[in-house]
Amino acid sequence: MQLVPDRVAWQDFATVDELTMSTATIGQAYNYKVVRQFVIATVFWGVVGMAMGVWIASQLVWPDMNLDLPWTTFGRLRPLHTSLVIFGFAGSAQFAASYYAVQRTCQVRLYSDKLAAFTFWGWQSVIVIMLVTLPMGYTTTKEYAEIEFSGAVWMAVVWVAYAIVFFTTVVQRKTKHIYVGNWFFGAFILVIAMLHVVNHLSIPVDWFKSYPVYSGATDAMVQWWYGHNAVGFFLTTGFLGMMYYFVPKQVNRPVYSYRLSIVHFWALITLYIWAGPHHLHYTALPDWAQSLGMAMSLILLAPSWGGMINGMMTLSGAWHQLRTDPILRFLVLSLAFYGMSTFEGPMMAIKTVNALSHYTDWTIGHVHAGALGWVAMITFGATYHMVPKVFGRERMHSTPLINLHFWLATIGTVLYIASMWVNGITQGLMWRAINEDGTLTYSFVEALQASHPGFVVRFAGGVFFLTGMLLMAYNVWRTVRVADVAIAHREAQIA
Amino acid sequence: MFDIVLNVLGVLFLWLSVEYCLRHETAESLDDASLTPFADDPEVARRVEMATGKTVKAVAPEVAQPGWVNLEM
Repeated sequence: MQLVPDRVAWQDFATVDELTMSTATIGQAYNYKVVRQFVIATVFWGVVGMAMGVWIASQLVWPDMNLDLPWTTFGRLRPLHTSLVIFGFAGSAQFAASYYAVQRTCQVRLYSDKLAAFTFWGWQSVIVIMLVTLPMGYTTTKEYAEIEFSGAVWMAVVWVAYAIVFFTTVVQRKTKHIYVGNWFFGAFILVIAMLHVVNHLSIPVDWFKSYPVYSGATDAMVQWWYGHNAVGFFLTTGFLGMMYYFVPKQVNRPVYSYRLSIVHFWALITLYIWAGPHHLHYTALPDWAQSLGMAMSLILLAPSWGGMINGMMTLSGAWHQLRTDPILRFLVLSLAFYGMSTFEGPMMAIKTVNALSHYTDWTIGHVHAGALGWVAMITFGATYHMVPKVFGRERMHSTPLINLHFWLATIGTVLYIASMWVNGITQGLMWRAINEDGTLTYSFVEALQASHPGFVVRFAGGVFFLTGMLLMAYNVWRTVRVADVAIAHREAQIA
Repeated sequence: MFDIVLNVLGVLFLWLSVEYCLRHETAESLDDASLTPFADDPEVARRVEMATGKTVKAVAPEVAQPGWVNLEM
């Protein structure tokens, strides 16, 4: 008689789809199939999306890299890069992490295997729609919401299915308490649905052409209400849910203060939604709205740092684990970058600072401090944590490769943001410099030429980061690959 | 004036929400809640108990059943 291998946890083993068992236990086991699918999608879209980023970074160093083709110009590939990394990479990561964490913290199987499978294939089809239509030039022109009307409607359908799966699972939980990580995941799902629908309200004239129902400053305000909260909820709140589950799990300590986590949750969702107008300083937007956005952005520093400190302090008494655990290093460094970028953001929202920073590469550097340092790093940590568990392995194929990935990602991020700081301040100062007679001291092209060294360093940073991502893909592949049947069978036996 | 009203409403919403969430919670119940991530994994739960001195109410794993088969990779 064959038995369950002792090194695979019961719930991991019992839910691997290849496994057969009595129907009586199926209802109690976890659905890891959809988690595995989203984990693989995370790695795949991470590689493709980051490669796209490196490509467009190279175009700013060597303009010939646009290949003189309309489909490969910067204007078309840049939205593709952001869409692939936000919705493909970060989106798949959050699907995987939320499905994994909600099952384990509610101690119940995901509601409806079929609907969960629909969310996977539906979400992948959304990313493929972006991959095809954006290079062809079909775009709403709204940043982070470029997918045209028909694709956006399909995206909303998939998202509603996600909400049904997630919240029904929470309702069916066997635990008394809804763990705080699930609150963050839940807020992320609800608010993104609201933002997506409101920002995409438009009048279609074709399958792939529509016009927004808003116009002028209202259109801009709605877009940046969406745009900032895409960062605030798609790239922050869901990942905080990830942080509240994976940091305690990896460090084997409960979160530092559960009470603080609840205050953190409510403060964050209360404040984030108001901060969008800081993207429209010194525009046609009413001045009071700009000031409100600035004030809310400054207050936002408090909950952001409260959450960051709560995550960091979870390591109290366990800091020594950082010496030996590169996965924990990813998670902790992500919190450090989260703290740094959530300090930088409110500072940049101050109108006088924004007068220098706006429209410069400083903004690009700030976004990537969050995107590479926070979002990607915590995703790497969570993925390295999940992969062995959902694929029934003891650990990742290679810990030294995780360590190497950590250093490549860290160096890449630092090169990226440092070069963009230098570029941003250079550009801001050159653009505002005027002669005694009131004429501009520098032309735009002179500022562009001064930015070229920064573009080279940014490209190098991107190459570092992408190389780390490729190492991760290799490591994940070696961990889950099916070729090593002998080892897989040995692993599955009790000695 | 309008923005001040909005700000006050925001603070009020925050205060009421936190108070509502914590209305029946005690230090002990919050401690229990914070241990939720370990409650479905007795092996990890034991490690957490040893490290923190707190009791994790972990769910016992299911015993291997006859008829369960090995993972086909």
